[in-house]
Amino acid sequence: MTTTLTDRYVHAVQRSVPEARREEIGRELRSSIDDMVDARDDLERDDAEREVLTDLGDPGVLAAQYADRPLHLIGPRYFLTYWRLMLRLLVWIPGAVALVVLTVVMIQDDSSAEAIGAAVSAGFQAAVQVVFWTTVVFAVLERVDIDPKLPAWTVDDLPDTPDDRDVTLVDTVTALVFIVLFGVVLVVQNFRSWVQGPDGEDVAVLDPALWSGWLPLLLGVLVANAALEVWKYRAGRWTGPIVAATSVISLAFALPFAWLAWRESLLNPEFVDAVGMSDTVLGYVNDGIVAGAVVIVLIEVVDALWKLRQRRLAST
Amino acid sequence: MEADDVIKTHLQELRRGTVVVASLTALREPGHGYALLQTLAGYGFAVDANTLYPLLRRLEDQGLLLSEWNTDDSRPRKIYRTSLRGESVLAVLLEDLAAITTSIDRLTQGEQP
Repeated sequence: MTTTLTDRYVHAVQRSVPEARREEIGRELRSSIDDMVDARDDLERDDAEREVLTDLGDPGVLAAQYADRPLHLIGPRYFLTYWRLMLRLLVWIPGAVALVVLTVVMIQDDSSAEAIGAAVSAGFQAAVQVVFWTTVVFAVLERVDIDPKLPAWTVDDLPDTPDDRDVTLVDTVTALVFIVLFGVVLVVQNFRSWVQGPDGEDVAVLDPALWSGWLPLLLGVLVANAALEVWKYRAGRWTGPIVAATSVISLAFALPFAWLAWRESLLNPEFVDAVGMSDTVLGYVNDGIVAGAVVIVLIEVVDALWKLRQRRLAST
Repeated sequence: MEADDVIKTHLQELRRGTVVVASLTALREPGHGYALLQTLAGYGFAVDANTLYPLLRRLEDQGLLLSEWNTDDSRPRKIYRTSLRGESVLAVLLEDLAAITTSIDRLTQGEQP
């Protein structure tokens, strides 16, 4: 028995409809196709068959319509929920994973390059996992007939208008991440370093003698800085007191660095020897640190004042 | 999007529901899929076979159409006809269609609501 195009077409449709209705759908489809081919008596039978099947189109599409199956991965019912959830997860999870990996590898391993590499790769993998699993869950939801009781949208979900808030959550989180990183670096450089002394032991970059006073003070300033960031976020905008506090904290952090560099007591003498820095170069490095500290304070204070001015202009 | 495509999309949207109304009306006289396709085409309803056949099954699943196999002819055919439930749904749909037509008429003639 030879198989005709119609046999193959009907088979292709039957293959992807539910088994219980396969037989009946096939039978009806075949008789309809035969009717349509008969009606095209202006053509040779083979041509007519070809024509009719072409008009019916992709058997997969027809089968999906018979089975009432969606031809999209995630439809309008779930798409926005899916999209919002995925963006929200992507903001937090990869960054958090990368930060944890960065900290752990930096403490366990000598190489900071390795730590950054591992953190980037872990963050990327986490992002891929987030995208994959959210998509899988919603694609399944789209295909099963249950009500997942997702919270419906209400007017309370409306975002704040941008005017109300100069200090966004992203600003605050970024600032906090940098503060924590800076604190970690300050502490970790004392125990782990990329420079080894003559006996192969790690040499701290900053003078360990500073732990008896200056470094704890700097860590304290960092904590105060973190508190300031939270205060600023809760206020949502730049105010006079916040600008004043920003200036004080900026000075309290930069001045000790500048002062110590000026007195040439910031860098660890063992470190200077280990990297083979000459006195001239050491002088340049110290001058550079002083200049850098002054410039950073100026930028922070001017930036804070500028933003305060913008806010006052906007509210009048 | 080309202007023709825009028109095509809007026409498709506009006609989608009317195929159901037309099918339920036409199948007061029992008939098989291809015969219905020809009837509808004769009355100027542009509907494709690959839309109509699955639609008939869906209407049957919803209890709006009844079906039986006719084996008297040279080839067996599935004959559909509108059920009682289909009639009452059709009445609602026709009423709504008439209301829409009236509203459109009043709107285009600029009557005050």
